[in-house]
Amino acid sequence: MDWLEGLQLDYGHVIRPLIVGTLVSIVCSVLGCFIVLRKMSFLADAIAHSMLAGVIAGYLLIKITLGREAELGALLIGALLAGIVTVAMVGFVTRFSRIKQDTAIGIMYTGLFALGAFVISIKYFGSMIHVDIYHYILGNVLSVPDEELWLLAIVTSVVLSVVILFYRPLQLTSFDPIMAASIGIPVLAVEYLLTVCTSLVVVSGVQIAGVILVVALIITPAATAYLLSDRLDRMIFLSAIIGVFGFWLGFALATFAGASPGASVVVTMTFIFLLTMTFAPRYGLIADWIRKSSTIPQEIMEDVLGAVLRAQGKSVPISEIERTVTTRNMKIRQAITMLGRQDLVDVDHDQVCLTEAGEIEANRLVRAHRLWETYLEQTGTPEKELHNKAHKLEHISDQATVEYLDDVLGHPISDPHGSVIPADASQIGPDREFVSSLLREGNRASVQRVGALADSFGFKPGDTITMGKRSDGGRTWTLIAEDGRELKLDHEQADSLVVRMTP
Amino acid sequence: MIAKNKTRIQLPGDQSNFAIAVQHLTVSYGPVPALLDISVQVPSGKLVGVIGPNGSGKSTFIKSILGFVKPDVGKVELFGEDTSHTKDRVAYVPQRGTVDWDFPITVREVAAMGRYGKRRWWQDLKKEDYAAADEALEKVRMSEFSTRQIGQLSGGQQQRVFMARALTQNADVLLLDEPFAGVDAATERAILDVLHETKENGKTVVVVHHDLATAAEFFDLLLLLKQRLFAFGPPRQVLDPELLADVYEGNLRVFADLAQSMRSS
Repeated sequence: MDWLEGLQLDYGHVIRPLIVGTLVSIVCSVLGCFIVLRKMSFLADAIAHSMLAGVIAGYLLIKITLGREAELGALLIGALLAGIVTVAMVGFVTRFSRIKQDTAIGIMYTGLFALGAFVISIKYFGSMIHVDIYHYILGNVLSVPDEELWLLAIVTSVVLSVVILFYRPLQLTSFDPIMAASIGIPVLAVEYLLTVCTSLVVVSGVQIAGVILVVALIITPAATAYLLSDRLDRMIFLSAIIGVFGFWLGFALATFAGASPGASVVVTMTFIFLLTMTFAPRYGLIADWIRKSSTIPQEIMEDVLGAVLRAQGKSVPISEIERTVTTRNMKIRQAITMLGRQDLVDVDHDQVCLTEAGEIEANRLVRAHRLWETYLEQTGTPEKELHNKAHKLEHISDQATVEYLDDVLGHPISDPHGSVIPADASQIGPDREFVSSLLREGNRASVQRVGALADSFGFKPGDTITMGKRSDGGRTWTLIAEDGRELKLDHEQADSLVVRMTP
Repeated sequence: MIAKNKTRIQLPGDQSNFAIAVQHLTVSYGPVPALLDISVQVPSGKLVGVIGPNGSGKSTFIKSILGFVKPDVGKVELFGEDTSHTKDRVAYVPQRGTVDWDFPITVREVAAMGRYGKRRWWQDLKKEDYAAADEALEKVRMSEFSTRQIGQLSGGQQQRVFMARALTQNADVLLLDEPFAGVDAATERAILDVLHETKENGKTVVVVHHDLATAAEFFDLLLLLKQRLFAFGPPRQVLDPELLADVYEGNLRVFADLAQSMRSS
């Protein structure tokens, strides 16, 4: 111990708080990881506050039973007592009344904190207790006596040993308690263990920040590390580093500015947290913003496709597309690049034209738009709003929705403005069977199956039919048989006839 | 309201062969028992669906097999042993809602959790434990995701990872709580494939399921619960319209589902 004493003689006023702070920061931030992950932050705060009552109770107990002024013993016993009583009371209230946990915690810790303040403010007890109460409320890392330094060293090694030894049970009960129980881990015992450790850690943290701020030492570094890691072991490691770094920086700041070390450390840690929240590579605000803004909205891509389709096979200059597609964020060039990558358009010297796949996709969108427009018209949407509404709705263009609209509208051929609604190429491809109501004028198909409703028309599987003109406002289908007979079918009858396109 | 016992189906067979044997099980949390006088024997190597309306005691039944609840009457045995001694023979796959998906843990670590029960609590996992985890992930086709954080997967992928964890446990009885709730068709297929493969390896798989339309297609045996055991046997026998009308008390949606499943099968 000679070297330690030597150090203390020369730099005691700086070295000792640094040792204390480093130990405390490590142990607080390591255990803090579990407290954050198990959503026990509020409970840790509660234990810290009720510690005041615990210390006073412990002190009185020792004084009355042993007649000694034992601040250290009072501290330890009191903290453990406070932890256990708080958790037990919260558990009791939640279990046996309709009060929920957050409220129960709020009631119990303020109650216990007040009990401590109440007792010590009574003259009779106040004169018995020789405890610097402000030391507990505000913390004072600059004046930690020798025996408390030992206490801290023990607390630190006990808690760290627990975390190392019980790493897997702690991890599993935090992540999936039911699975933990199913393989025989005593989930409740692990929780008690964690509560005891929390009480011990609060005792150590109080030296720096006092009962009011101690919870920050526990949860702030852990929360910061949480934003930076995808694995628990790394989170714990990072949390310890952030905790120690935050303490040193905060302590330096306090020394430099002549401020309270506790407050300074907590302010620094909070600042580090906010920085991390902004700049964290994966879970940070900026990373999030970049991720969101770098994805090109589907709508813009679809609008670009539509603009190129309107050129009817000719290529379109990019400047022209930029003029016709109105969008708030200018991402049209990115959208075009993306479409090029998906092989939907070809770009050549600022000229854009559709590929074969692009044309199918664009037609699919036009179909969706015109079906929506027809649907809106039939459901009584004012004519002025038709186009804009349909323009928004056309982006809802999944196969099932469009097929439903088409069917419920009776497979319309043209939209309210008289424009042709393109047929769905994938629905009536040569390799598929489909109902004859989907055929367009001039389509030739061979009959596959004849349902009950179409029975009376005399079709047999293998017959070739040609679709004639739709009449009666699109509600009557005309089928031309091989022998030239013209047969009139309604929607349901046409649906009853399953056909396949003939090449 | 109460079904006649004529519909109860008893499977004949040698008692010692049963994976799960439940005898006169009654469990209660209050004045009304959650389960009443359940007696059932599940042969090993079967894929069993547990069906019944909401609040019918399906979860309690699963908990009893896990040995989580103390029966008021009766007992549950796995392979002839009381559930207090069978922790290493059952694996449980939780419902999606019960897990914290933001937890800092990777897919491989979750799969490796299946080996925790094989090691003392202070021991580290060994190479062979991770090898087992990797193998299980391979089986559920999730190997390429093994370094991802668990929350970055889709719902179905998460479900598969938990299946991998159960496989890593190498248990004889697998219990799954609504694994098909809210997953897409591809995932449904993938989970079902894993379940069938697990079954083929001689394991017994018990699944809480609430979609009657798919129940017949998915399972070898169905167990119809509503506080009491209403039926246990092959789907054709259990999905008896009269019996279901009794248990579901004329819940119309159920019949729509069922009619559909009958048509498709």
